[in-house]
This record gives sequence, structure tokens and C-alpha cells, in this order.
Amino acid sequence: MGLPIPNSKLCMWLFLGTEIMFFTAFIGTYIVLRLGSVDANGVNAWPTDPEVTHILVPMGAINTLVLILSSYCVVAAHEAMAYSRFGKARLFLWLTFAAACVFLGIKGVEYAGKISHDILPGRVAETAEQAEQKFLREMEEVVEAGASAEFAQAFQDTRNRLTEDVSTSIPLASIAERRAALGPGERLPPLTPEELEHHAAGLREKFPSEMSAVHDPHPILYGNLFASTYFLMTGFHALHVVVGMIIFGIVLAKGTKLGPQHREYVENAGLYWHFVDLVWIFLFPLIYIV
Amino acid sequence: MAHEHHEFEPPIAGEHEQSHHAANYLMVLGVLLVFTLLSVVFDVVDMKGKTVLGVFNGSLLLIVLVLAVAAAKALCVMAYFMHLKFERNWKYVLLAPTIILAMGLPLALMPDIGVPYYTSVAPQREEVVHERAKEESEAAETRIREPVPPGSHE
Repeated sequence: MGLPIPNSKLCMWLFLGTEIMFFTAFIGTYIVLRLGSVDANGVNAWPTDPEVTHILVPMGAINTLVLILSSYCVVAAHEAMAYSRFGKARLFLWLTFAAACVFLGIKGVEYAGKISHDILPGRVAETAEQAEQKFLREMEEVVEAGASAEFAQAFQDTRNRLTEDVSTSIPLASIAERRAALGPGERLPPLTPEELEHHAAGLREKFPSEMSAVHDPHPILYGNLFASTYFLMTGFHALHVVVGMIIFGIVLAKGTKLGPQHREYVENAGLYWHFVDLVWIFLFPLIYIV
Repeated sequence: MAHEHHEFEPPIAGEHEQSHHAANYLMVLGVLLVFTLLSVVFDVVDMKGKTVLGVFNGSLLLIVLVLAVAAAKALCVMAYFMHLKFERNWKYVLLAPTIILAMGLPLALMPDIGVPYYTSVAPQREEVVHERAKEESEAAETRIREPVPPGSHE
């Protein structure tokens, strides 16, 4: 009695059942959080502009192709094993392994882009005020690390400007004078986010090396939630790719000893790998396109 | 090629009937590649935030289209690459409960987090409420003491 499949395959399917729940929890939570991320007017404000999120659709599309091709290779390997063409099976298993490397390489390029723009959980400024604070903090870190006196002066000026919160159309030196001339209830025009970005661009031109460690003061509403969900989903997926590489690595290490006794192993490894592909099939549209 | 002498063994070996069914895997691969291209085309067409064909909300249409393509791709992978098409009925017994349980968390979170029925500026934190009351009383005082001079930008 029992099911008409090997125990190992039943175990793999039961494991994949838990994996379905594991990834659905992340993907479902991402969808729910994204739907609930509205601005003060109740309009959805999830960041989707590639200029802001540094999501690269071509990279995601290439990775989708790579995984689909690798899935085909696994199926071809399984087929070759069934027909006892073990040399062919090994070739396809190596191709799958190579595809996994390519996938992780592209993922690495994407992660590097996110890291260089500081799109990381807990590090994204979500409001204009947070963007100002982060900008000052990063400039201060450069000064403390030992920057030129000129840059230290530029930092002081920037800090004074932000403390005064007065438009860059009014020179710092004349702020006190202009303020004294104000009537009651009146105030000088405040510094706008655009002016601050312009100011940052000016500094970047003047101090290219110092400013390389300072990010643009550009707030991204829900940027932290975006980064958290992005890295959680793609990170766990990448981890599954790594585990897949280990699984294929074990059978590839058999070298020419690959034989009929490995048929079940290759089939189960294939099931796991198709599942990894399946998860990416949903992650690609949900993260990159929608 | 020491192992190639197995070549003419029947494809089915072992005590269990392995799920070996010849499907045209190259054709499945072709379909999957076309579907992937289709999702990229939907992205390039750039219908987000526009009205498509005069009636459809572009953002919503994009979601429906790319998720439909994803579902079709997933079905292809599961049916042919994972051989579910050729498996016996145990597949339903095993997969149906997991899928139902997997829906639990998103559905449980949906009403409180997914449906925004209050705005993020709701004055519910004590210090925010106090600050607002202070601002309002100050503003009222200013209005009484200093009427806005004519010609002022306010």
C-alpha cells in the first residue's frame, strides 16, 4: 500500500508544500502591505518609479529567462537519466548549475545598485525632514573622517541653512537682518526640497570625492517597507538558489559515477529547482513590473 | 563513456513506476519564453496610470495581464516540468490543504493593513494631539491680536 511514488519523492512534495506556505506568506504580506501604503489623501503611494527604486526590469527579465532555461535543463537531465544517457544528463546538470551562477551574478549587480543608493531597510528617508537629517548626518560623517577645511565649512553652511530653514534665494549672511525686518506672523520663505536637492548637486560638483559618501537628500515615502519586502522576498529566493546549487553540486561531484542509482535524486532535485523557478515566475511581475 | 551501455534499457526502472512521460519539453520551453517576452512587452507598453482603449484603468489592466501570464507560466511549469499532469490524485490531497493554509495569512492581514480606511495623519498619538491643540490656540491668538494686514500674501 501507499502512494504510487517513491518515499523520497513524497517527502520532496511534502517539503514543497511547506515551501508554498513559506513563500506565500512573504508574497501575500508584500501585496497586503503594498495595498495599504497610502499617502495622507488615501492614494496609494508605494514607490514604483525605477528612478527611485532602482528596480531594473531588463535584469529581472533576463533572470526569468535564465531560470526558465535552467528548468528546461533539469527536465532534459531527468529525461536523459531515464534513458540512461548519463553523459548527457551530466551536461544538462552542469548547464543548470551555470544558470544558477548567472542568476546570482545578476542578482548581485541588482543588490549592489540598491546598496550604493542606500535603498536598504531602515536607511531610507521617507519625509523631507528625514532626508535633511540624513544628508547632514552623512556630511558630518565625512567631516569627522577628516575632510578638507573647505568641505567642513560647506557642511557648517549647509547645517546653518537647514537650521534656519530659509530659501536659498536669501543668502545666509542676510537672514538675521531680513528676519528682523519682518512683521509679526510673517516668516521668510522656507527651504524647499527642490532647493535642497539643487544645493546638494552644487556640493557634489564642488566636492566630488567627499560627496561620494553622501546620498542625495531625496525622500522616498514607504521606501523602507519597499526595501524590507524586496530584500526579504528576493533574498530568501536567492538563498533557495544557493541551496539548489549545493543539491546539484552533490550529484555533479559524482562525476562519471553518475548512474541509474541517482535517478530518484535527480528527479527530486528537479522538483525542488522547478519550485524555485515557480517562485521567481511570480516575483518577477509582482516586484519588477506591477 | 563507461555508462553508456545502459542506453538501451527501458526508460522505466525500479520498483515504482517513475513518472516518466514523454512531453515535448522544448515546446513547453518555447511557450514559457514567449510568455516572459509578453510580460516585458506589457511593461514596455507603459499603461500604468493611463486609460487603455478608452475604458480600462491601465494600472489595474497591467496587474491583471502580468499576473495572468505568471499564472499561465506557473501552470506550464507545474503540469509538464514537475509532471503534475501525469501524477495520480494524491497531488490534490497534498497540494489543496497547503494552498488553502497559505491563503490564511494574507487574508487575515487584509482587513487591517491592506484596506486603508484611515489616513496616516490621524491625530492619535498624544504628543501630536497636544501639539495640534497648541498650534490651533496660538493661531487663534494671532488672529485676535493682529488682524492680517491688507496686501499681505496670506
